[in-house]
Amino acid sequence: MNAGPADTRSPHLDLGDLIAEANGQPVDDRAREHLAHCEHCRAEADRWDLVARGVRGLAAAIPETAQPARPGGPRHTRLRVLTGSRRRAVLAAGVAAALVLLGAIGYGASNYVHIKFGTGGTGGQTVLTAVSGCAGLEQTAGTLEQVNGTSLVIKTASGRPVTVTTTASTFVSVSGALRSLITDGASVMVRGPRSGGTIEAAIVTVGQPFSAVNPAGYVPVKGTVSDASSAGFTLVTSSGTRIPVTTSGDTLVIVPHASLGQLRHGSTIFALGHAGPNGTLSARAVAAVSQFPPGGPGPFGAHLHISVHMRVGGRAHGCSPSAIAVALAMGG
Amino acid sequence: MNDPHRDTGAATFTASHDGARDDVQLLRRIGQGDEDAMAAFYREHSRVVLAQALLVVGERVLAEEILQDTMLAVWRGAGSFRGESSARSWVIAIARRQTRDRLRSRRLRVVDDAFLADQPGSDPGPEVTALDRAELAEVMAAIRELAASHREVLGLAFGSGLSLPEVADVLEIPVGTVKSRLTAARSALCRMLNEKGQNR
Repeated sequence: MNAGPADTRSPHLDLGDLIAEANGQPVDDRAREHLAHCEHCRAEADRWDLVARGVRGLAAAIPETAQPARPGGPRHTRLRVLTGSRRRAVLAAGVAAALVLLGAIGYGASNYVHIKFGTGGTGGQTVLTAVSGCAGLEQTAGTLEQVNGTSLVIKTASGRPVTVTTTASTFVSVSGALRSLITDGASVMVRGPRSGGTIEAAIVTVGQPFSAVNPAGYVPVKGTVSDASSAGFTLVTSSGTRIPVTTSGDTLVIVPHASLGQLRHGSTIFALGHAGPNGTLSARAVAAVSQFPPGGPGPFGAHLHISVHMRVGGRAHGCSPSAIAVALAMGG
Repeated sequence: MNDPHRDTGAATFTASHDGARDDVQLLRRIGQGDEDAMAAFYREHSRVVLAQALLVVGERVLAEEILQDTMLAVWRGAGSFRGESSARSWVIAIARRQTRDRLRSRRLRVVDDAFLADQPGSDPGPEVTALDRAELAEVMAAIRELAASHREVLGLAFGSGLSLPEVADVLEIPVGTVKSRLTAARSALCRMLNEKGQNR
């Protein structure tokens, strides 16, 4: 405030006091008393308060940043985890540990399907643990036998072959121990512990969208792949920083938007779509999980959950999580 | 100040950061290569850094890249943190340099003192009445359209939890200059609101 005994300047509040007032920070008693009685300063304080709220409003409107998750922290509330007898081993990835978002395109829209795979703490086989938003779509799951052009032939858990047809608009994602899919020039997000200046990649997402959720303790780093080899690559960030990244057979590679050519024989397929002729499934979305080596990905612990967010479009009915579970229990 | 809407909505963002001691410990651990500490630091400061970067550059992807490079710089430079400023102002200063470099490469300017010197002084102009009549949503929309230099100083003063002396440290200018920039920014905001009001 400018009104000290020898102060000949304006008797009104200093801008610093007005800013502090707008920020809810303490102001001295003299300034507070002045503010209570000075209409001019109250008007000024109100104006700065409005500006401050405008700035905060803009900041509050931005989505959450990619926050490293903590064990026991909040999980995706849209996903309902099925337990007990409803669990059905449909995938054989044999992976363990961490929360991974695969193909996270968006939240809250009715035309997104959220599928969650996990070990549920039991280790061993990966199971489908939840599906939501699957309105009116048929589903099937099994092991990829072959790819014929735009069609996939999978064998369900009951041994029944099912043909899954795809179109250019079918959403296809793949994940697994797929280091060969990390190629020079690819835009990637890397998550993993650092050792010196090197990142030991636990998860590499190839291509957008990049997940907003991280395993505990990992800070995501985005960049472009250079000098890719079976042992790793150099991550070049947008500012030109070059970061050595090592990969191994334990590295989980995720390709949110994959091509059929990137599917691996023997990988586990989960497909959603509409029933076609002769027992086929016309797929809107296909998620493929490749087998990890025995023992699973090393950097992870006992729990892995892969959440697939598939954009399938349209509205329909009859594909609730329980319907999915019943269908799976009946053999896919 | 009896505004019933005061402190609603964005309180968690604007709350002053009082974990200074924790931050110093975190930075010390980060300097020793502790990744848990880095993750904790990231959780603590990433949102504010992203918000400030987004306010200045106006592009989400670019702001995220600035956040990433800022955190990489923290990872690499935590050992050099001497505690002469708060960790919050330190990381925001890093983010500001990252932002400046990005915008410079795009031939845009973050702060141009010659431009700012031409702006009105501290006396409220006739446009200030536009601010008196404005709704919050209108103010938010107008802030988005301000020059980057104006958005930057407003974001630092009201969105980062920094005091004016800390804002001055980040901008590497005297506190008095911070005040004149804030006043210039508000004047520009008032003019914009006034123009929008006349066009309605």
